[in-house]
Amino acid sequence: MELFFQQLVNGLSLGGIYALIALGYTMVYGIIELINFAHGDVYTLGSFFTLAILTMLGIQNVLHGFPLAAALVGIIAASMLFCGIVGVLIERFAYRPLRNAPRLAPLITAIGVSFILENIMQLWQGPSPIPVPTFIPDPTFNLGGVTIEIKQVLVVAMAIVMMIALQLFVYRTKIGKAMRATAQDRDAAQLMGIDINTTIAVTFLIGSALAGAAGFVSANYYGTTWFFNGFNAGLKAFTAAVLGGIGNLAGAMLGGFVIGLVEAFGAQYISDQWTNVMVFSLLVLVLIFRPSGLLGESLPTKV
Amino acid sequence: MRSFCVPRRAIALFAVLAVFGTVSVAASAADTYKIGIDLPTSGADASDGVPTKNGALLAIDDANAKGLPGGITLQAEPLDDAVQGVHDPAQGAQNLKTFAADPSVVGVVGPFNSNVARAEIPVSNDAGLALVSPSNTNDGLTIGEGAKALRTSHPDEITYFRVCTRDQNQGAAGADLAKSLGFKKAYVVDDNETYGKGLADVFDKDFRAGGGTILGHDHLTKNQQDFKALLTKIKATNPDVVYFGGVTATGGGLLRRQMGDAGMSNVPYIGGDGISDTEFLKDAGALANNSYYTVAAPDASKLPSAAAFNKEYKAKFGSDPGAYSASAYAAALVIINAIKEAAANGGVTRANVLKYVAATKGLPTPIGAVGFDKNGDTTNPVISEYKIVGGKPQFLKQISVKT
Repeated sequence: MELFFQQLVNGLSLGGIYALIALGYTMVYGIIELINFAHGDVYTLGSFFTLAILTMLGIQNVLHGFPLAAALVGIIAASMLFCGIVGVLIERFAYRPLRNAPRLAPLITAIGVSFILENIMQLWQGPSPIPVPTFIPDPTFNLGGVTIEIKQVLVVAMAIVMMIALQLFVYRTKIGKAMRATAQDRDAAQLMGIDINTTIAVTFLIGSALAGAAGFVSANYYGTTWFFNGFNAGLKAFTAAVLGGIGNLAGAMLGGFVIGLVEAFGAQYISDQWTNVMVFSLLVLVLIFRPSGLLGESLPTKV
Repeated sequence: MRSFCVPRRAIALFAVLAVFGTVSVAASAADTYKIGIDLPTSGADASDGVPTKNGALLAIDDANAKGLPGGITLQAEPLDDAVQGVHDPAQGAQNLKTFAADPSVVGVVGPFNSNVARAEIPVSNDAGLALVSPSNTNDGLTIGEGAKALRTSHPDEITYFRVCTRDQNQGAAGADLAKSLGFKKAYVVDDNETYGKGLADVFDKDFRAGGGTILGHDHLTKNQQDFKALLTKIKATNPDVVYFGGVTATGGGLLRRQMGDAGMSNVPYIGGDGISDTEFLKDAGALANNSYYTVAAPDASKLPSAAAFNKEYKAKFGSDPGAYSASAYAAALVIINAIKEAAANGGVTRANVLKYVAATKGLPTPIGAVGFDKNGDTTNPVISEYKIVGGKPQFLKQISVKT
């Protein structure tokens, strides 16, 4: 039975990373109906940035207490800021000129940006996995026979905190309102005096910042990073967003955790090599029976 | 306006002169033949491919320096079969086609990986171009119906040879090593590729035959980065050792590293020559220690015949030779020797070079005397065993397996 709970923990941790990335996908899709394929690579950039900062700070050993907390907050914030800025720049130069172009153009551009980012990262740190200096203590604690790593707690905590913060932001602030308005009807929002460009830029800023946070957590969780990580993680996170209902924040979180759990339990009870098949079969099944995703609302067609 | 009309006869005369001119120029230059080299020399696989390539380059340079009969010079033509840092069979096949299309290429050293060889053997068979690998160990490349099926154009003509032994022997050596270290229960993981799965299957069979228990056999998915769920499953079975069939680039190192996170840091790890590179040491981090691996080549530092090679390699490339550098030197030497024989007996053509490669017997090389049997396998099968201690590989022993 404890094996079940152990895999539950594994699945939630993996799912937490997917959820954080999926939030960014879903936000961007909600507002400009673009599937930002470059998002997975922004996540990898976040882990690369974390690697660079940790190497620069020369942290060799594990920290404790106050320095640990300060480092944690500081590096997460820096990573989020960095990725947020990258996201805004990508939007400004690659997507904004195509805002009124047929839907296919920004999609292809997104794929192009994805390849550009991947290759830049490959040139930056080389094509093999790179170890990340550790600064979070290793000790695990035991909860009724299940070993839980502190890093795993960090992942899940981050995901939940970020989602709550995001919900508050989108539903309780003025900019959040502007985002929801733009998502609902871009032209009407413009007519109401909302600055579309700023609103969309803020959306990308937040979405990419979340990817940056995911990058930080993953770099610490695995202890290594790799330029090609974003491809797989992005694909699974996108699946998570669609599974939960694209455009729906809670859906993205749910989708992320569901996929993480399917992978973990699939590896345990079926076989590791079938995990991808299971994840994508689940996606297909959900979409057949609930096309708008698990939590998505089927919007009535306006006549 | 007077139209400039060149009489047809003049054109014909110029054409004939041009043709004779080039032909005579070509004939007067000393013959240069190319030896192709197809290895993964970029990305994660570079730590395997580059030292191997260097071994072959050294052989060709040495031959040119010593001079070949008839004023022949040899030129190395290296191509990379790695795509995004990992060996790619389609790229390998493409490279072989490039070599096949170039008439001055009379032999190819490579490839490094067995799944790339599967894609390249049909091309080499079709072109009648000798392909000599320093390191492919999958059995199905030379033995059995599967091997014959690879020889699509001429099923009875062998154009693929290897100077290293097969996984049937490497897997057996791995099982023997595990048994000799006292391990009774093993969990096997492979990367689901030709080499990795083949090797893991042999280990599985031989470990059982030797009285051990296989607790489970799992396969990774491509580009997998998260092994925690799999390792939790493995830990629950309580193995004495984990055997990995595959290469570092497909997860061999990361799997080992994450064993630490999963609470299995005191469980040893055994792999094949796929983890015999420096990349594994980097990926696995602190957990590289207490890992063992087998290599289908003799340890160059232990052979008297290799002493000169080691010194030369270090002087030329500034680093120690890799696990397969001496084998690549031997593979290139096989082709060079065949070129010499062909030059003395009927001219250097692909068919002639192929004939003499197949007929290689007792050729002295840094890895010992090299010869091929009727399947293209080496007549001198040797497996070396290593343990990683203090971040460095330590030679344990060498097994000579006669099949």
